[in-house]
Amino acid sequence: MTTCKDCKRFFPLEDNPEKGDCVERIVDPRQAYYKSKPVNAGNDAVSCSSFQKK
Amino acid sequence: MAKAAIADRSVKEFEEKQEWWWAAEKKRSSRLDYLRKAIWKKGAIGGLYAPGVKVDLERPVLQTQKARALEFSPDPYVIKFAKMIAHILDNKTIFITDNAQLVGYTGSLPHTIAWDPSLGSFLNEEVYNDPTAIPDPAEKSQQIIRDVNNYWIGKSDLDKMIPVFDMEDLGKMLSGSIGWGVPIARGGYSSKDYEYIMTGKRAYQAIIDELNQKIDEADEQTHAPGATTETSKIYDKINNWEAMKITLEAGIRVAKRYARLARIIAEHFEEDSNRREELLRVAESCEQVPAYPPRTLQESFQYDIFIQMMSRTEAVEGAWPARPDYYHGPYYDKDVNIKKNLTKEEAIDLVGEFLIRAAEVCQFKPKFAREGLQGIDGTWVWTIGGVDKEGRDACNDLTVALMQAARLVRVANPTFGFRWHPRVKDEVMREIFECLRQGLGYPNIRHDPVLIANSMHWYGHPIEEARLWCNQACLSPCPPTKHGFQPMRMANATANCAKIIEYVMTGGYDPVVNMQVGAETGDVTSFTDFEQFFEAWTTQMKTIFSILVRAVNRARTLAPNLTPRPFLSAISERSIESGMDTLTPSLERGNAWVTAFTWVENIDSLAAVKKLVFEDKKYTMAELKNALEKNWEGHEQMRLDFVKNAPKWGNDDDYVDDIMVRCLKTAAKFSKELKCPSGNNWPILPENVSGNIHYANIVGALPNGRRLGDALYDGGISPGPGLDKKGPTAVLKSCGKINHITDGRAFLLNQRLSPTQLAGEKGYQLWRAYMRTWADLELDHIQFNVVDDSTLRAAQKDPEKYQEVIVRVAGYSAHFVDISRKTQDNIIQRTVQGL
Repeated sequence: MTTCKDCKRFFPLEDNPEKGDCVERIVDPRQAYYKSKPVNAGNDAVSCSSFQKK
Repeated sequence: MAKAAIADRSVKEFEEKQEWWWAAEKKRSSRLDYLRKAIWKKGAIGGLYAPGVKVDLERPVLQTQKARALEFSPDPYVIKFAKMIAHILDNKTIFITDNAQLVGYTGSLPHTIAWDPSLGSFLNEEVYNDPTAIPDPAEKSQQIIRDVNNYWIGKSDLDKMIPVFDMEDLGKMLSGSIGWGVPIARGGYSSKDYEYIMTGKRAYQAIIDELNQKIDEADEQTHAPGATTETSKIYDKINNWEAMKITLEAGIRVAKRYARLARIIAEHFEEDSNRREELLRVAESCEQVPAYPPRTLQESFQYDIFIQMMSRTEAVEGAWPARPDYYHGPYYDKDVNIKKNLTKEEAIDLVGEFLIRAAEVCQFKPKFAREGLQGIDGTWVWTIGGVDKEGRDACNDLTVALMQAARLVRVANPTFGFRWHPRVKDEVMREIFECLRQGLGYPNIRHDPVLIANSMHWYGHPIEEARLWCNQACLSPCPPTKHGFQPMRMANATANCAKIIEYVMTGGYDPVVNMQVGAETGDVTSFTDFEQFFEAWTTQMKTIFSILVRAVNRARTLAPNLTPRPFLSAISERSIESGMDTLTPSLERGNAWVTAFTWVENIDSLAAVKKLVFEDKKYTMAELKNALEKNWEGHEQMRLDFVKNAPKWGNDDDYVDDIMVRCLKTAAKFSKELKCPSGNNWPILPENVSGNIHYANIVGALPNGRRLGDALYDGGISPGPGLDKKGPTAVLKSCGKINHITDGRAFLLNQRLSPTQLAGEKGYQLWRAYMRTWADLELDHIQFNVVDDSTLRAAQKDPEKYQEVIVRVAGYSAHFVDISRKTQDNIIQRTVQGL
């Protein structure tokens, strides 16, 4: 199964690699920014539209 | 305007044409320009959110998820609630905008409006029924909203409060005719103990250490041999301290999440070396604050933003009490003047970004609130200038930098209230004037000696605390001190005062909402003299104020247990010390006030009745009653008589001015009979925000000649638009007959001045002379619109070209294109005073 830890956007925590952040660059009509959301390394990423294989 | 057209013209050309917004765009740094244009406009346009702005569904889902998980846990509610806050902060999406040096937002993404579902289930229905703000795909979002709403029915703050309110009062209040808002302790204007948290002596970690010590000592006490009546109270204190600790720890964690994101961007994505350095500074800043006290101006601003972000995660705050030059000024001085770590230009960039970060803050508000605050999310009226604890001039270099940055970023929110006192230096006054001349509509000017005396008179604040005041909302001073700060001022103690005179005519029956709301003061046609009429007015005034005050008092009394605020408590010295929630009335000195919307209609109406009915006997009361019932239809000649031939407030005419003073003194006397749960007074504060438009269709025809649907007067003591015919000094003289210390809490006065007249040095000197008269007459407040009719009419015709024109609405400023046509017309109708 494809999981978050297989994704380029996943940045594991140093002290707990099973958890991390999904970091993504967004360009909306007014500004560009990076967003971050906590995720588990083992989360199912099969249906994730942002998934990018490492 | 097209980019090329801006590029082709010089700053000077724009300034000569008084197109200040284009001049600002050319003058500001590329960073500020980017960040200013990056703002998603959150203030409602008219009453609706702007296209593209969406309700944030992440927070309600996270909160509901955690609330469900905790439902059957043995934790007391205060701890459950603190855990919900922590869960939100630990799991929300965070972001860092390109070029930003400051981070932190209430929602999850830049275009989102934060929604707190735990406030009131009937407020949640507004989210469901607001299709313009529901994110796509709508069907999926609505399913989420339905699920969230269903959970909070019966569990939200208001749902818990309603069964213990007086239902008759509640029904009258919720009719929407006399009050504005709901009595909940997590929705309103929340002052803070800045003297505890913002003076650099401590930050979250030091407080956590103190809490740990308190908890250990208390725990020891409960297990020592013996049991007294105090023992069970100790358990409650431990719970409160634990809850405070949970929120502070979550605050440190979320800051570290920002630090981590900044480092990830710097190390993995950013190619520009300068930006990488900036991001590493952002990271260091978020690792320092809020855990430890700030060391630099950037950290000081960042610390403030984190405090505000957390407070707005815990509650819906409709105001932003702040005194930025006083609390951040020492860091500006250290970085710019002493250590020279920052150039003035770099500091202005930070100051401007600080304003921008505040401008983008937004929390979902029901439609009545959006209509009353058109164009903005809440009244962020930041206080600057004034004096320090010892009474010395507190203006500093940051006061000036804030004014300069404000002219560059030109946001409508935050605005500023400037505390004028006789020792303010000319260079500072020139900066203030420049903001006014450039059409920002702010700062408003406050008379510091009068307001310090006022705070001492009404609440007994000691002078050292009274001198530290900052605006709690638009106009009401509050000391940010241990016992002085008011943790929540509920907006529903806002009286639609035009109903006072309307109810005199109807015997308390409200024909718009079809219910008996006011007192039964009898058939007005049976009154034989003005004194009887005035007595009925007094009874209606007392009745309306009492209904609103009773509800707030009840909510404030119940709040510590039913709707606690563990984070606000955690940054309050009195709660750390006592172990009690900061909403506990006995911990506070009291700083309550009744906002008096639509006040001046009473004065002009009373004068008209006294003159035309009782003295000149030109009309009988029956004729007047009949004309009002018909909304003056078929009685136009009579109506014009009431408009033109009765004395009007604002013309230095003792006939009507004496009535104003009598009404205020009558209300002031009653204010001392009304008591808040802390045992202090409830003075009135006449002002309007844009309530004069919101209430236009709720207030019936009045004896001043107004018809149902006409805009009400715009300011707290401003004369009716176009009715002040004797010039600016006459307006000031009328207002000077009011005692601004003892007759009420504060009095909003709008004035319009001509931009042409204010041009150049001559314009400044004219304004200074006018302000000397204002100061000599001891008026507590004045604010100015300095935009001419032709610009405003052009903006109505061609709004796309005038997106950045700002006007002073009432206690706040807004972009002219964001307010309703009716409010726009009302501003244009205001008399332009020639100095």
